[in-house]
Amino acid sequence: MTARRALRGGSVVAALAASALLLFLALPTLTLLAKGGADGARGLFVDAELRGAIALTLLTATASTLLAASLGTPLAWWLARREFRGRAIVHAVLDLPLLIPHPVAGIALLVLLARGSPLGATLLALGVRVVGSPIAIVLAMLFVSAPIYVSAAREAIADVDPRYEGVARTLGDSFRESVHRVTLPMAWRGLLAAAVTAWARAASEFGAIVILAWQPRVASVLAYDRFTTYGLREALPVAAALVLIAFVPLVALRALGARRQAVASVAR
Amino acid sequence: MIELRDVTVRQGAFALDGATLAVGRGQYGVVLGAAGAGKTTLLEAVAGLRPLVRGTVLLDGDDVTALPPERRHVGMVYQRSLLFPHLDVRRNVAYGARGRSIDEAVERTGIAALLGRDVRTLSGGESQLVALARALASGPRVLLLDEPFAALDPPRRAAMRRTMRAWQRERGLTVLHVTHDVNEAALLADTLAVLDAGHVLQHGPATEVFSRPRSGRVAELVGAENVLAGIASTESDGMIVLRAGPLTIHATGERMEGPAHAVIGADEIVLSRSAPASSARNSFPARVIALGASGSLVRVELDVDGTPLVAAVTRGAVRELALAAGAAIHVSFKATAVRIC
Repeated sequence: MTARRALRGGSVVAALAASALLLFLALPTLTLLAKGGADGARGLFVDAELRGAIALTLLTATASTLLAASLGTPLAWWLARREFRGRAIVHAVLDLPLLIPHPVAGIALLVLLARGSPLGATLLALGVRVVGSPIAIVLAMLFVSAPIYVSAAREAIADVDPRYEGVARTLGDSFRESVHRVTLPMAWRGLLAAAVTAWARAASEFGAIVILAWQPRVASVLAYDRFTTYGLREALPVAAALVLIAFVPLVALRALGARRQAVASVAR
Repeated sequence: MIELRDVTVRQGAFALDGATLAVGRGQYGVVLGAAGAGKTTLLEAVAGLRPLVRGTVLLDGDDVTALPPERRHVGMVYQRSLLFPHLDVRRNVAYGARGRSIDEAVERTGIAALLGRDVRTLSGGESQLVALARALASGPRVLLLDEPFAALDPPRRAAMRRTMRAWQRERGLTVLHVTHDVNEAALLADTLAVLDAGHVLQHGPATEVFSRPRSGRVAELVGAENVLAGIASTESDGMIVLRAGPLTIHATGERMEGPAHAVIGADEIVLSRSAPASSARNSFPARVIALGASGSLVRVELDVDGTPLVAAVTRGAVRELALAAGAAIHVSFKATAVRIC
């Protein structure tokens, strides 16, 4: 009896702690939406600078995600399927962008790509200006979001039993065909979820972008600019519009997660 | 024809070590072994899905060791059917057909009614049939089966074994089938290899392996009921004597000295109420421990001076001898019924 009461008491404490944390996580965003949501939604139609910043954010985040998927999927397959020397080093390289402060990531990219650097000078000689251009925004987004894509894609590929590829090989597929005809179609929901997560991370990036490209302004930089120049009142609609946009990947991820679980339970 | 010569595969701490065996063209070869013996690794080595540390794989006399899986023309069916869940049944079967007709494979496996189905809605038995059809439709020169019937219920398993054997004979297909099930091996195998902890202990015609196991371990793995360890010596008259604890067992065969095993078939053991006046050289008093049905026979567990033995007798014999747990009985068997290995 005493044990049951202690258990019930423990459950109540856990529920209260969980509720406090959830409230803390939800309340700022809900308050922001309550105060600036309507203006933010209106701003999407009437504020040309906001519309431009959001369009640039969506475009550059999409470009960065496509790059992360094209370059990261083979690496994710390799990490999921093969044991090799230097695996720990590859993991460290992938973890590093997630561990360093994002302005530091921006500074590192600036050192690499500024016109005074060998790479920056070479690109400039070829007519490619990186710093202060949409290319810089894409690269900053790629730096912070590609590790997230590779990690999630690796899990999605590892979820597909490698024997499926083996069966496809015995049925006449080359290695490449077996990956394209079997592994990728079987892992596509997980890969899409990885891409959506990476896209969301790219779209919400600020720290690295602000170092590399104050102009042209993505939405997060615009929100910061309005806040520092005009104060909270002007920043609120931009911030609220960004929160509203964040709901798109959020809903997509939930839907993909639910479908993926259903498919996985049948496949197993 | 499938031939493995000294095939060695390393997989973490496990190694398939120097596997050598052959399955003749149009024959049904079975590899028998317990879980973890390396059966799947052996099949995957034949299919080209595992790199070899050394050794050679020949298919129909061609050395395919250096060829990738897609150029070996083998059909592989795993215990889990591994149907591609993003394709329906028809597209699964046609996957490896590459323009060839799938009609024959569909007809032989009897899956015509399933062709439009989503593979995720198939039962275990239906999935295995589709997996077989998919392998057959690719036109393989050999078929590799990894415990393909293990997940099926007993009646369906028996039916699938019959069907599989009939197709194989009819088409003259060369099959290598791995299993842990002794009965399955006995029912299907033309040639049998016994695999234990990564080593092929014995291989050859199935009747030979079953009747003349090369070692006590092989005898255990092929399901011999009575395997007694002891020290063998050869008498001056050529008779082999094996001392296994308190028992002295007489056997015939080639000269043998030192540690050895005696293998006695349960159906070779004769039970009687008193010591028989017969030609049997081995005769011992015993006590019945338990009786159990075994098909049309009765399996009688015996205690012979502390050594367990099993006899298989008819129900009529049980009645006539009034066999029951605790009954005192006499056990005898001929020296020629004892295989020393």
